[in-house]
Amino acid sequence: MPNRVAIVGIGQTHHTSKRPDVNQAEMVREAVLLSLADAQLGIKDIEAVFTANMETFEAIYLPDHGMAAEVGIFGKPGLKVGTGGTSGASVVAEGFHFVASGLFDVALVIGFEKQDCGDTTAAITAAATPIWGKGATTGAIGEFAKQALSYMKTSGAKEEHAAMVRLKADRNACRNPYAHLKLGLKGVEDVLKSPYLVWPLRFLDFCPQSCGACALILASEKRAKKITRKPVWIADMETVHQEVFRAGVFGDPTGKETYTQQAACERLYKRNGITKPRRDIDMAEVYEPSNWEEMNLYEHFHFCGKNEGWKLIEKGITEIEGEFPVNPSGGVIATNPIGGTPTIRVAEAALQIRGDGGERQATRDVKTALASALGGPNWTVLTLLKRSL
Amino acid sequence: MAKRTGKKTPVATAKEEKTPEYVKVKFDMPRTYDWSTGKYLGHFYAEAKENKKIVANRCPKCKELWLPPTPVCPKCKVDMGWDWVELPQTGTVYQYTYLVFPLWDPHYGERWANPYASAIIELDNGFYYRHFLEEQDKEKLKEGTRVKAVWKEDYSERGQGPGDILYFKEIGKE
Repeated sequence: MPNRVAIVGIGQTHHTSKRPDVNQAEMVREAVLLSLADAQLGIKDIEAVFTANMETFEAIYLPDHGMAAEVGIFGKPGLKVGTGGTSGASVVAEGFHFVASGLFDVALVIGFEKQDCGDTTAAITAAATPIWGKGATTGAIGEFAKQALSYMKTSGAKEEHAAMVRLKADRNACRNPYAHLKLGLKGVEDVLKSPYLVWPLRFLDFCPQSCGACALILASEKRAKKITRKPVWIADMETVHQEVFRAGVFGDPTGKETYTQQAACERLYKRNGITKPRRDIDMAEVYEPSNWEEMNLYEHFHFCGKNEGWKLIEKGITEIEGEFPVNPSGGVIATNPIGGTPTIRVAEAALQIRGDGGERQATRDVKTALASALGGPNWTVLTLLKRSL
Repeated sequence: MAKRTGKKTPVATAKEEKTPEYVKVKFDMPRTYDWSTGKYLGHFYAEAKENKKIVANRCPKCKELWLPPTPVCPKCKVDMGWDWVELPQTGTVYQYTYLVFPLWDPHYGERWANPYASAIIELDNGFYYRHFLEEQDKEKLKEGTRVKAVWKEDYSERGQGPGDILYFKEIGKE
């Protein structure tokens, strides 16, 4: 039997588009110190450190080599994880596996990105080789433009529904002190008048480039109970990988239907006896690069039936006060330090379980939460969190 | 290794803290670099350059076509062998989009032209192929448009694999 693992410390920086006041390592240190303060631990209590970001986004190969002091890894074991957009969740999996194995009792996992020092979209296009796939793709935005088109066509959702998702994100972000974009949008017309990036995706339909970091302290059961009265248990995690050039399921060239999400969900739900996700889970923090994708994810994770994602937003079910809150943090479309983004999903879901969501705390009691991550060569990472095991 | 400074405290170099500022980093990329295609993608490159053909390889087990070609079927995880299929060069626009915002090429430091249209084209054997369209007027882009591949005619300019096809052009439009 593997050891049970809990999140015992949570720390994230505030998020913004420019941080000239700190370098990458100094920014990461802020999150590390906040997580230690949250757990009331010192860096000497940390046995291993795992880091994650998007390699070369800030023109640094092996960025972890330049921050041994700042993250407290000097003289300790640890490694850096790079799985594209899911890096920040893969690093949680890494810490989870190591602590579950019994090798370490207390580990620090960190996701970060300082996007004012690099060109993200250009870097993503470099995921294609210089001799294949370059040009016909437009970074992540082009991919999600195709998904939006397919979603519109098959589900019957209108641009107004996507705008409503964007408004929900903005309302929630305005209640989250760590969120990046807090626009105070008034109505759907504010979203619908923003300019196109890649048709039909508009400027406000897509996630921003943020600077920020998020750190979690993971502990084994025997240590967790001594460290905190409110441990959040990692009940399960699932990772599914797919090949780069086959976005989507076989037969869907647009990538709207995603094999890795289907497979990850099926396995995670089956192992944990989840048959009706909206009944068996209390809320979710999903990785939605675009507002259209959020509606798509509702369906892929079985929060509703096929082609009904837009109805959840229309009925207000996924609002903070709703029956099944999704992204009370404001989500990725409000805050996106890429390597840190999936770590924030797990952190925000854990805060909801602890009841420490502050103004963005869900109205309903959250005992079980799901965090998702998406990215890289079509990876999906899911994390299931619980208040008690 | 840094030398120990002994008991002496280092002399402070600045009297007051200054707010840090960004430092501009200049990127010039005057050099080129080499890239290996490998055996399978190399065959695709050679067919495009020598014969103006689009080829994909076929899994001996599930018969799925793969492009870029692959040595192992990702689905069946079996050796693909050396079974090549020539794809038709005519098809139908399945879905299109067009890029509006300016994008930089991280490999070459150049800015791409914008706006431009790209599409998923359903070739006449049902295979989906992603490429650029000749039509750049977004009002005239349409799903279902019949298109055909237009190649670089000058042999000396070919050898760029997928780039040997300039774009897909509407059939019957001259």
